[in-house]
Formats: sequence, C-alpha cells, structure tokens
Amino acid sequence: MRDAYLIGAGQSDYGAFPAESYRSLFSTAFDAAVGSVPKGLEPGAIDEAFVGTLGVGGRQLGLPGPAVTEHVGLDGVPCTRVENACAASGYAVRQAVAAVRSGMADVVLAGGFEVMSDTSSDATKYWLGVSGETEWERLSGTTFSGVYAQMASAHMDRYGTTREQLSHVAVKNHANGAKNPHAQLGFECSLEDAMAAPVVADPLNLYHCCPTSDGAACTIVASEDVVDAYTDEPIRIAGVGAGSDRVGLFQREEYTTVPASERAGESAYEEAGVGPDGLDFAEVHDCFAIAELLAYEDLGFCDRGEAGEFVASGATRPDGQLPVNTSGGLKSKGHPIGATGAGQIVEAYKQLTGDAGERQLSDPRRGLTHNVGGSGGAAVVHVFERQPIEEVAR
Amino acid sequence: MSAIVGVGAYAPRFRISAEAFEEAWGRFDAAGVNGKAVPAADEDPLTMGYEAATRALEAAGVEGVDWLAFASTTPPMAEEDLTARLGAMLDLPEDVGRHVLTGSTRAGTRGIVAAADALAGGASRALVVVADAPRGEPDGEIDHAAGAGAAAFVLEADGPARIVDVAEHASPYPGSRFRGTGESTTDGLGVTRYDRRAFRETVGAAVDGLSVDPDAVAIQAPNGKLPYRAAGDLGVDAETIASVATVHELGDLGAASVPVTLARALADGHGSILAVAYGSGAGADALVVEADGPVSTALALDGDDPLGYAEYLRQRGVVTAGPPSGGGAYVSVPTWQRSIPQRYRLEAGRCPDCGALAFPPEGACPACGSREPFGAATLTGEGTIEAVTTISQGGAPPEFADLQSRAGDYAAAIVSLEGEDGGAVSAPAMGTDAEADAFAVGDRVEATIRRIYTQEGVTRYGFKIRPAE
Repeated sequence: MRDAYLIGAGQSDYGAFPAESYRSLFSTAFDAAVGSVPKGLEPGAIDEAFVGTLGVGGRQLGLPGPAVTEHVGLDGVPCTRVENACAASGYAVRQAVAAVRSGMADVVLAGGFEVMSDTSSDATKYWLGVSGETEWERLSGTTFSGVYAQMASAHMDRYGTTREQLSHVAVKNHANGAKNPHAQLGFECSLEDAMAAPVVADPLNLYHCCPTSDGAACTIVASEDVVDAYTDEPIRIAGVGAGSDRVGLFQREEYTTVPASERAGESAYEEAGVGPDGLDFAEVHDCFAIAELLAYEDLGFCDRGEAGEFVASGATRPDGQLPVNTSGGLKSKGHPIGATGAGQIVEAYKQLTGDAGERQLSDPRRGLTHNVGGSGGAAVVHVFERQPIEEVAR
Repeated sequence: MSAIVGVGAYAPRFRISAEAFEEAWGRFDAAGVNGKAVPAADEDPLTMGYEAATRALEAAGVEGVDWLAFASTTPPMAEEDLTARLGAMLDLPEDVGRHVLTGSTRAGTRGIVAAADALAGGASRALVVVADAPRGEPDGEIDHAAGAGAAAFVLEADGPARIVDVAEHASPYPGSRFRGTGESTTDGLGVTRYDRRAFRETVGAAVDGLSVDPDAVAIQAPNGKLPYRAAGDLGVDAETIASVATVHELGDLGAASVPVTLARALADGHGSILAVAYGSGAGADALVVEADGPVSTALALDGDDPLGYAEYLRQRGVVTAGPPSGGGAYVSVPTWQRSIPQRYRLEAGRCPDCGALAFPPEGACPACGSREPFGAATLTGEGTIEAVTTISQGGAPPEFADLQSRAGDYAAAIVSLEGEDGGAVSAPAMGTDAEADAFAVGDRVEATIRRIYTQEGVTRYGFKIRPAE
C-alpha cells in the first residue's frame, strides 16, 4: 500500500459573502491550495477529485462536484461528490487517501464548500438539522442545537459538567480565531460574555453554538511515488479512521459519548502507531461547545467525564499540553458545512508547514483532525505527521 | 333502553379571567362568565376528545366499542372523517360504526341520542366523544364567552345511569348564531330579545312532553346568564342549574356544553338529571337520565395556568403568522401515515433474538443487530427523561415555528419509555401540558396525544410527554 501525503491546503475566508457564489468561493480555496504546494503544482497533474457538500439551499443538489471542479478548470477529471453532513469533506479527504493508497490516482484534490447565508431566514431554517434523524428526532422539535443540548444535559447530569466549562470552549476558540484572518467571528470574548449570551437550546447559549457560514476549503493529496516533486518536507497522512452510527441520538446506547468519533479515533491512532500523547495539536469538531468536550473524551485527550475540567484548566489553549482548535474552530472560524472537514486540515497543514502566522505553534510535528457529521452519525479522524518524524521528549 | 356506564371529561389547563378581558377591551361581553378554559396551541377538539375518551374508557373499565361518534362545531377539519384518526388513537377496531356530528351546538346530545338508537338497533357498546372550542371575532360576545372542553360517554344497553326519555323540538329562528361555510369564526346578529325567545321557546317545547322532576339540570350555556332565564320554562329553580353549571369557570363549550355539564352532574352523584341542549337555527334536545347507583367517572376539568389577554391571542393563533415557507427536510403524509401505530399508540417491537425493545420497530435490532422481524410489543406510555433541552426562539425546526410563536419555549427530550412486559426503549418527544423548565433529566413523564405540526394543510398528530400525574 502506498503512503499518502498532504502537499497543499487552502481555504477561502469563512463568513457571509453576498458577492460570492459557491463556485467563486471554491475557486479561491482551490487557488490557495495549489499556491501552498511548496514546489508548485500544475493543476493538470490532478487526476482525481472528491468534493464534499451538504447542498444547503438546494442550489445544486445534483452533481455539485463537477460543477466546481470544471469551474476551476479541472477539465474531465473524475469528480465524486461526498455527502456525510458536516463531515462531508473530512470524508472527501479520506476518499482521496484511499484513491492514492489503492494506486488509482497520484494527485487528488479533496475539498468542500457550502453557502448558507443567501437564503431567507425561513428557508434557512428548513435546512438546519436536515442531517438529524428526520422522522422522529426532528419531529420532536429539535434541530442540532437541541440535540447537542440534550447531550449536554446528559453530560451535566452524569458528570457535573457546568455551563461555565462549556463557556471556556468559546473563550478559547474565540481567542484563537481572533488571530485567524479567515475567521468569520474573529473577535475575542470574555468568560462573562460567553456566560451571559441568550439561550438557544438550554443549556446551550449563543456562545456555545457555531455560526452558519459561507466558505470553501481544498486539500491536495499525493502518493509517495510523486511527493518529492512537490515538497522537500512531506507531511504524511499517517492515520485515517472513520466510523458511523445511528443517525438519531435517541437510537444510541448513551448520550455522553459519540461512538463514531471513538471508533474513528481508535482506527486512526492504530494506523498511525501513536496515541493522543503523541499529538502536538488537534482540530476537533466544535459545532457546539459540548461537542468539543465530547471530542476530548472520545479521542482520549482526557478521561471520561473530565473534559469540562480539562478545558477550564487551560490544557487545550495554545500554550497548554495539547492545543485544540488553534484555527478558532467551528465556533470562531466558522462552519460552512461541506467545507469544514477540509478546512480543519488546512489548519493542520499551516501548523505543520510553519505558515500559521500569529497562531503558529512551536515546531509541531504531529496533528490530528476530527470531523463529525450530524450528532455523530458519521465521524472521520486524520493524523498528519511532518517527515522525518522524531519523537521529542514530552 | 340505553345507559351510561363510563364518563370522561377534559378541559385544557389554561384559564383566562373576565378581568383579563376587561383590561384588554375595557369591557367583557360574556355575562355570567368569570373565566374560561383556553386550548393550548397544540390542542384542538380532536386531542381534547382523545383526552376525554381515554378517561371514559378507563372509567368504564372497557377497551373496545363497536360504535363511535365524534361531535364538535369546530372539528379541526371541515371535511375529513376524523373518527378514523380518533379510532386509531384509541386503538378501536377498524370495523367500528363511525359518525361525525357537527354544524350545531346540539351535536353532542345528538351523538348521545344516536348512540341510544344504535344500542336499540343491536350495537353492544357505544362511545360518544364530544369536544369543542368555539371561536368568534375578538371584540364580540361569542369570543369573550368561548371556552374549551370535552366529554365522552361509554354507553351500553343497561347500566347505572339509564337514559329514560328523549325529546326534541325545532322551529326556524335564523340569525341568532351562525357560521357561514368556510368561515372560521361564529357570529350572531345580536338581536337580544329575538335570540332569547328562540332559546326559551325551543328548550321549553323540547322539555314540555317529558315527565321529570330533576335534581340537576345540564342546560346549554352560551353564556352564564341565558340558562337561568329558561329555568321557568323548564319548571326548575336556578339552583338546580347552578349546582352543576360549568359555564361560569369554563365558558361556552359549544357542542360540549351540555355533555360536560352532564358529566359533572353524574360525577356529583345526582340521581335525576335533565340534559337540555340547544342549537341555533333553532332546535333543542332533552334527555332524562336516571342514575340508580354511582356511575364510574374520570373528570379532568381543573386548570390553574392563568393567561393574560395577549397570551390568549397567541395560544389561539389569532396574532401569529403561521408556518414559514421553505424546503429542505420533509416528511410526506404517506410516510407519517405509516408511523401512526407508533405516533398514536406507541407500538414498539421486541427482538426475537435478544429480547430488546425497538422503537420504531424497524431496521436492525438496536441492541444485537439482528434482522429478524420484531415481535409485537406495547409501551406503557410512562417513562423517565434521559436528556432534555428547552428550545428557545429560533431553535425550532420550521415545522414548529407556528407552535413556538403561539406557545413559546418548549421542552424537547429523549425519554426512556417502559414496555408493558418489561424493558425500556428510548424515543424523542416534545413536552406539553407544562412549562419547558418543568422537564429535567430523571423526571417521570407520561405520554398523551397532541397536534405535532401542520404542513400542506394536513395536521400531524402524535404523542408528546407531560409530567406524570
């Protein structure tokens, strides 16, 4: 099996852009990704593409993949649309890795996009929560804020997690996002702000919820046979893991874990031959503050029930033992559904290539990205390693 | 001969006082009404009828009937056989004889008379469900008086409360109270003396031929004064009417006015009851009920959640915008229809391999993954909250935007529902009948049926949860 390498990644700004189309946003991300390849890349070298999008707004429900790859001039390149809700482009990257490892392709584009700001608030509501279990979960009156709030209620009941601990996620991620020029909500917030915001779905308030966003992100994956042509400091995709689960939260055994994340994490760690201790940073799926806490536990960053204390301790701040969401996360950077998974990998690429600007961590060697669809119906985890990898004493 | 063997009655929890109307309007036009019951945004005569009917069947200690009637002047659909849904909610056999009665405030007593006829004609057990929530223009007497309530009666050929005599009378009095085809509010010309004459003459004539000396009179009460004006015509004193009257605290119950009052008279243990219903147009029914022993009753007519006038207009949907337009997630009516056994009756499945419960009973077993067809299993409707949130403004799916603008925040929970034969299974459910913050992890709850949402003109009904009694 051939190794797969991340040779480029870039994104558009995330936010609300009335003057942009899904194609123009994708074009921006594509150009940024191509431009980030250290030794340059002729787009004609791309021989396969995977594009993630949920299709919010219904603007191009069929064939959205070719609609954007043809737009950026990838004439005739086979393109597959990947749909796994908010994990769409995380899975697109996984497909790219599979294409490379199998020998089907040498240079693969994997990206995603979403436009969520150009519909009326009524029409937008019809698209929120469409990845929840429709017949029962949605029709008990919930969208995802409600479902994650239910998870939070169970976690608080079982482990004593507090609203203040949830708010620490917002404070940290906003502090990080304030240093990210691509961030949608690039401002800092105080713990008081994050505690006092209006309730959306109790116990979650506005600062515990990510925004809706327009944006696109692209990554470029290459095989070991060609990677040297593109970079002298290759970043190996050392581990890939994925898992599915019942789409409705009520259909699961318990509500204080996301088993798909656990499964994805275990597989990725096993493939990479490392555990959470071997990571220098992580980008996790913080669509809601509770989701980041669940990710800490599901990915083994801390013990079960201790994520609230873990975030409050500062352990996941940039100067902590394991920086999480240096990009600002979905909370501050934004959450254009189909772009999110690839966008997390953009941050991993920037950190590992020393291109993270004010957010740059000190010489990180290994990072993890974690992308969840819905409330955990799908999850995908990647582990990236800058080569050559040397274990540093911790 | 026919007899009432079980009685149920229900009124919504919300109440609005005459004073709240006076504050809003500077006056209150419903004479003799001190306050009235107001249906919640997720209630209508079908759900209120369900509430009364489950109580009547339980009071009677029976499950099945072979004859069903639903009566209301305000059925949620003007055209559609609502007894099909009601029968499914109550798990009645599909070959039950069914009747919908509407168009007059005496539709409820017409249902009781029709049940008596059916029993005489060979039916063995009848269920009459009467529910109403009249509506008028906000600035008129009809809306000021309009309350909400339901009563249900199980009848058999013989029993403790026999219907010993029945009479009716009609003569033309157009214009006293009417609602044109397609209109949503009831109106009247307000010719006071004419209206009063129509009422007194018609009910008097209906009772005329009966031989009865009642110790309680359940009489049509469009307001809290008119019944007493007819006392002389019925040959009774005011106390005989007042002792069982429901209009003073529940308001005008339309077709359910006399049935709910009759239910109260039976619950209070009266032995000789005269029930006199009036329908504008005008016609009247008179029934004599003789109870020679206690009748099993289950009444839920108390309510103590006060509404201000603005909240009243919201709950009733007078000042809200209705559902938004849009696309995205969508559950078609045929899809909903397939899930009716679960939505109405909590029919679950039991895995033949591992014994775990599954809800809804489809797909692989949630516990062991077996694909063997599930065996039948019923849930008790009682359970415990496992996870819960309060959905605030903006957090509701658009299907629920109208409900939320009318009723405000609501609880959305995952509840562990218990199986009749042991075990439990989780289901998502919306809270009702209590404020959103009345639901917390670990709380005991019970299921009832309410309106879920309306799309494409079709209302979806299904179970919700409320704090356990």
